[in-house]
Amino acid sequence: MKPTLSELLSTRRILVCCGAGGVGKTTTATGLALAAAREGRRVLALTIDPSKRLAETLGVERNLKAPVSLPEERLRQAGIEPPGSLETWMLDPQLIASGVVRRLAPSPESAERLMNNRIYKGVSGMVAGMQEYTAMQALYDFVQEDRYDLVILDTPPSRNALDFLDGPRRLSRFFDGRIFQLFVPSEEQGFVQRAASSLISRVLSAVFGEETFGDLQEFFNAFATIFTQLTRNASQMGEFLADPEGVAFLLVTSPSPAALTDAFFFRKKTEEMNLPFRAFILNRSQAYDLDRVYPTADLLGPAPSPAALSGLAKLQELADLEVAQVKRDQKLLRQLGEKAGDQAMAMALPNLTGGANDIASLLKIANVLVSS
Amino acid sequence: MDLFNKRVILVTGKGGVGRTTIAASLAIAGVRAGKRVLLTEIGDPDGDYSPLARIFDRDNFDVDAEEVGHGVEACVLYSRRGHELFLRTVLPVRTLIRAAMRSKALSRFLDSAPSFNEMGVFYHLLTLLREERSDGAPRHELIIIDMPATGHTLALTSLPESLLQIIPVGPVASELRAGQDFLNNPKTGAALIVTLPEPLPVTECLELIDGLRETNMPVGGVLVNKVMQDHFTPEERAALMPVAQSNPVFGRSRFLRLLDNNKALQRLRSNTRVPISLVPEFTSSDDELADNLAESLLTSIG
Repeated sequence: MKPTLSELLSTRRILVCCGAGGVGKTTTATGLALAAAREGRRVLALTIDPSKRLAETLGVERNLKAPVSLPEERLRQAGIEPPGSLETWMLDPQLIASGVVRRLAPSPESAERLMNNRIYKGVSGMVAGMQEYTAMQALYDFVQEDRYDLVILDTPPSRNALDFLDGPRRLSRFFDGRIFQLFVPSEEQGFVQRAASSLISRVLSAVFGEETFGDLQEFFNAFATIFTQLTRNASQMGEFLADPEGVAFLLVTSPSPAALTDAFFFRKKTEEMNLPFRAFILNRSQAYDLDRVYPTADLLGPAPSPAALSGLAKLQELADLEVAQVKRDQKLLRQLGEKAGDQAMAMALPNLTGGANDIASLLKIANVLVSS
Repeated sequence: MDLFNKRVILVTGKGGVGRTTIAASLAIAGVRAGKRVLLTEIGDPDGDYSPLARIFDRDNFDVDAEEVGHGVEACVLYSRRGHELFLRTVLPVRTLIRAAMRSKALSRFLDSAPSFNEMGVFYHLLTLLREERSDGAPRHELIIIDMPATGHTLALTSLPESLLQIIPVGPVASELRAGQDFLNNPKTGAALIVTLPEPLPVTECLELIDGLRETNMPVGGVLVNKVMQDHFTPEERAALMPVAQSNPVFGRSRFLRLLDNNKALQRLRSNTRVPISLVPEFTSSDDELADNLAESLLTSIG
């Protein structure tokens, strides 16, 4: 049975929007959030890097400590009424990381000390890996909290749509307790471990110089307990994302030569990882643009000027290009439908000129999404 | 823009602007301009598939440079290769290097530690830049990198500085500085920003110019991709405007988009002094696209 998007919006607890950068993933995620909130659900949209205008529309800013509601007047405009609500939060890796440290550290003083460690400061500020990890961490935290009926995650941009799932895994491997032990030699280690420890110290002192290696050891010592806890969280996250009753994965693509290949790999990957993949969304498509007519001379009225006539010929050249595009997009949508399999559907969103950053355009998108 | 006389070009820009196709075409154009060109991307030779490699009819590039067509050599920048190359330079004994590369704990550590991956990539690039032929000339005169999404590009260009904060001395530090000498010197390194003639991409391009400057990466130029050819005279435009605005005809969105494009281009021009080149929109099939683009790039930025 293929569930419709509107069924997914009313029954699931988590929707994960995946897709390469630049396909309009954030806009689609926001359209989904709006549609669900309008149906009376309490919705949280977690986003990474919305465009400035979209952020303004949503009333959200960088570095906020907690999610913010859509401004009152726009809630009305969008037809969202209690119990329905729509909150947005821009994920900030450093903020989330320090939140986790505070919660898991044995005392406030030790949390402060840890956050002042030179290596921690460097590591938590680097984009790669941290964005992905913190997105998952925030998703996990909010779902545990029960303040929202539905959390929609707009995943960080990456070449392959599921890379973000690998971020947490990489980080949790890094924070694996067994690796820490190798950095912090102790009497209790057996021969093999001692040998590995000594190899690692020799290699890393050669690589970093003695002084930095000392800092590294201190860092690992300080973080050992905290990150053992994080590792546990990461493996639990993997489990709850596999729940077909609570979660749906969506792939957003745009009409490009790579769209079909992306779709093929996405479906294959989600199957391998046992993740509930439910829809391809072809964004900025002209597949449904069927209400247009071909421009002819009768549009120009009686006695058209020479400029109008010569202009019309050029307009017709543009029209030919657009007709060809509609045909290509229709074919692409059909092929995506075939690739989707029997668990998932394929649908298209229109190409809104100038992007969809205001409530009116977002509502248009929401309407198309639920009518599919 | 004189880009073909650099040693390394970082092709960057937001997803969806055609960055990968431009990187491939730029490599082909470089070969036609008489350079020994290496085309690269950050990746994994055993990854799922690479859209860049697809342009050269293969799923992935190898970790060793090889010719992939049109006279272009290509390889992936691979963190693990970088780690291995680096360990070879700092570890005194061969047996220790072998033990180190075989150690599961160590390879897991290098694979997974934040920014270690980037460091490996960075060192692999540095090695390729230094590679020489027997006559002492660089093996790869021009290295073109198809960079990942904007955020990750800045993460990589800011990597040397942020790592030098953590590791101010030692062998890593001195190699980071050597890499900076290539990348941050406007004679040898340049970022090429690919964008579209539309409001949002132009805004993001201007932000990226500032962002790259903050990380000391010289910006060699902006390439505006998919610029529509505007054949309308002002009279024709004026005569058609009421028709286009009041009728849902085919051709209308392109007609209206032309105006937006011109406005966006004007805004780009008046807000930066970085050299700007326009690349026309090609409606040719995918097979011919890279070829046509290469010809166009050769004349516009060579």
